[in-house]
Amino acid sequence: MIRMCDLPRYADADMEEIKKMKEAHEVLNQVTYDPTPLHRGYTDKRLKIDVTDNSVSIIDIPQEVKEKFTGGKGYCLRYLWDATNPDTKWNSPENAITMSAGPIAGITQYGGTGKCLVCTISPMTDIPIDSNVGGYFGPFLKFSGFDVIELTGKAKEDVIIVIDGNKGTISIEKAPLEHKDAHILGEELTAMYAEDENDRKNVAVVCSGSAAEHCNLSMLNFTFYDPKRNVVRLKQAGRGGIGRVFADKHIKALVCHFRGVKANLNDVYDIKIINKDGLKFHREVATQDDKQNSMRKSGTAYSIRTLSDYDILPTHNYKYGGTDKVDEMAPEVWREKWLTQGGADGCWYGCSMACAKTADHFLLKTGPYKGHRVCVDGPEYESAAGLGPNCGITDPQVILELNFYCDTYGIDTISYGTMTAFLMECYENGILNKERTGGLELVWGNAEADLEMLHQMARNEGFGKIAALGAHKQKLYFAEQGWGDPAFLNDIAMEQKGLEYSEYGCKESLAQQGGYGLTNKGPQHDEAWLIFMDQVNNQIPTFEDKAEALYYYPMFRTWFGLLGLCKLPWNDIVPADNSLTDEPAKVPEHVDNYLDLYYGVTGTKIDRDDMIRMSERVYNFQRIFNIRLGKGLRKNDAIPYRSQGPVTEEEYLSRQERYDRQLVDLVGYTREEVEKMTLKEKMAATRRHRESEYEKLIDAVYPKRGWTLNGVPTVAHLKELGMDLPELLEIVEPLQDVQP
Amino acid sequence: MKRLEKDESLCIGCRQCEEACSKAFYKVADSAKSCIRITDREDGTHGIAVCTQCGKCAEVCNTGVITADAKGVYRLNKKECAGCLMCVGFCPENVMVQCDDYLEPSKCTACGLCVKACPTGAIRIVEE
Amino acid sequence: MKLNNRPYADWHEGLTIRGVMEHMNFTWPKLVVKVNGQLIWPEDYDKVVLNEDDDLKIHHLLGGG
Repeated sequence: MIRMCDLPRYADADMEEIKKMKEAHEVLNQVTYDPTPLHRGYTDKRLKIDVTDNSVSIIDIPQEVKEKFTGGKGYCLRYLWDATNPDTKWNSPENAITMSAGPIAGITQYGGTGKCLVCTISPMTDIPIDSNVGGYFGPFLKFSGFDVIELTGKAKEDVIIVIDGNKGTISIEKAPLEHKDAHILGEELTAMYAEDENDRKNVAVVCSGSAAEHCNLSMLNFTFYDPKRNVVRLKQAGRGGIGRVFADKHIKALVCHFRGVKANLNDVYDIKIINKDGLKFHREVATQDDKQNSMRKSGTAYSIRTLSDYDILPTHNYKYGGTDKVDEMAPEVWREKWLTQGGADGCWYGCSMACAKTADHFLLKTGPYKGHRVCVDGPEYESAAGLGPNCGITDPQVILELNFYCDTYGIDTISYGTMTAFLMECYENGILNKERTGGLELVWGNAEADLEMLHQMARNEGFGKIAALGAHKQKLYFAEQGWGDPAFLNDIAMEQKGLEYSEYGCKESLAQQGGYGLTNKGPQHDEAWLIFMDQVNNQIPTFEDKAEALYYYPMFRTWFGLLGLCKLPWNDIVPADNSLTDEPAKVPEHVDNYLDLYYGVTGTKIDRDDMIRMSERVYNFQRIFNIRLGKGLRKNDAIPYRSQGPVTEEEYLSRQERYDRQLVDLVGYTREEVEKMTLKEKMAATRRHRESEYEKLIDAVYPKRGWTLNGVPTVAHLKELGMDLPELLEIVEPLQDVQP
Repeated sequence: MKRLEKDESLCIGCRQCEEACSKAFYKVADSAKSCIRITDREDGTHGIAVCTQCGKCAEVCNTGVITADAKGVYRLNKKECAGCLMCVGFCPENVMVQCDDYLEPSKCTACGLCVKACPTGAIRIVEE
Repeated sequence: MKLNNRPYADWHEGLTIRGVMEHMNFTWPKLVVKVNGQLIWPEDYDKVVLNEDDDLKIHHLLGGG
């Protein structure tokens, strides 16, 4: 076991080099300002920076915006809407990247309270994407006087933006010499803007990586400095290509320096409540985590093996739900062999859940940093599953290497994993071959080819250029080239709305098919994770039950993104007596904690219904934002058949007993009829059934959400929510009676 | 290594130790603000919870503001402390103090004031 | 016997909750178990013997946010 107390510290950056880099900066604009102190979680200020003309504006946030949009993702979407128009594309200069932490963010006493939300119009989906990320930038931005930052325009050359929340300065500087890859750039900028070693923890960097200039799958890294390891850690706003937009604006990095983190910088209404709940939470983690999910020991990767047991772990591009090689990446393997134990691995102060594990002094075997020993942040469950079994890989060494390079190049591990699984299946089916891939033999489990493709993506070379498109554009490109049957490509490309699926197989959970398909940004499980409730527990058997779950959970979970919270402390630890509650899956005591925190910070009392209402306002706003940009209707919620049922014969045969039985139990054939059916007939009948079930699910969910059967929020619902804003009505009114 | 040691059989539950401790920093006699905690058992005996300088608080602190001094006593640097309270929540003896009037918690420094206050010698400072 | 409102085919004399979990390969760490509505704590999974007409619920609590 690798113990924190035995871990050698990482080396310091070369300060001579850092000095040279800093001297090469050319200040394009610098402004000074008086940082507005927080009051009850808000500064009510917005920082707008346009890198075309380097203008910096500080603008008041009106009370009405606060009431309707709360903060976090609500603010991000509101100001993204205002910056853009129906014709705005991801690379239009007016496309904005908005970041906001939300009113609870920045308290230090409770776990998971440092999240920043990031939105932009995505190069992958052409609609708004939202991503929720840890690291210190979000809270530091608040402490520096801003509830939200909005970046627009396009610089001519690479710039960095530096906010100093103590001095009250904002500076836009040409920065030609710094490296682009995040693990180096993060270190360079942290060393550059920290006054001394003790000050490094007060520097937060946002950057992408060298792939971002040409790769749609690019994300943003958010750093925090880890004083125990002496290394800059990387957390990711992963989904939807935000890094690509960042690089397209020629923003190399965003830096925020703030010294003096304390427990009450939010100037909260009642700190006693926050102290009490925070302490209760820490004690719960201290006593229960080892008995529950062991988040402190293995992070979210704890679930890999057990999800394989339940036929949920995506394997070979979601064909199967598990692999008998999963023991190679079991939780104890990560704990005993790879992940440093006993670290304080929270991505913001006060996160006792500490799931941000690292593999330390990890020796790289490929790529530009071959031979280097590095700190690998991760792997989180999604990264391990997507980079791993979904591509036929179970070797932790390979998964860590892929994870490291994805992070430092600025590539989203989820999209990369799912997309590579798709490419591998294409290769296995002859849709791709060595000639078409420039020699990459993308068969299941070929780690060498996988890593080489990743390096090519970063270098913008060879097949890496195709890989950089993402699965949606790849399938269109392959069809255009006449490579493979378009219908088959549509079935197996696990993407919807242009975004790759996250890493859960959901063939046996109709509710989760909706949990992925009926999302605003695309198939990410952060809105609803219903597989256990549905498939295993059988708690939501009817369409009505499933619809209720697909109303409640997405709204409940949206709330975390409005407030600047992480969802994991909600249910990756539960009170010891949670089983005694009437709805254990909702973790009622933790919901009450969140209501307390909201009251403690803002001074406004809310109940559980208010929580849902707050989310619904923003959720419907986002839906209409999608419609404004030409998506957001029922047809856009269609999902690939691979997520619903067996596409190929081998898939059907692998679970033949189950599928045959379902033809009798669910579809209405007799046993004798099923015995006489050919495999093709059984597959077709299964498909007809499953596809129609999904349509019935939509018919149940949309009205529950206050939408027409075409997926358009009704005027009446908007009025009820207080969201009958003219700009929204203008879009939905003409669509009220349009049939799907 | 310097730390407190206890002999519960000698404790008479007078709580002079608690008072001495809470007065030392918080200037009030309040057992909730003491880094030594006396409990009464049903059989008439008393439990004493003291800081064993085990270092768990330092391990869970992600800011690294709790460090052992030359004598092995873990000390909290309040100036740099962000007040996250993880150390308080994870303390195996539950003897760190969190007080709503202050942004940072406090912990036993093995100063010995409680030992001086104890009339029976139930606690003592050991240096190994 | 019913498991999560579905007929459970593999009931036998002396079947315990642990036996069901092993048979079903229920390896998830956070479970809420009820027999006929009565909560069963983990330390009793080996002890509670199930009757043929019992209504067993083994609810998995999700994680991951």
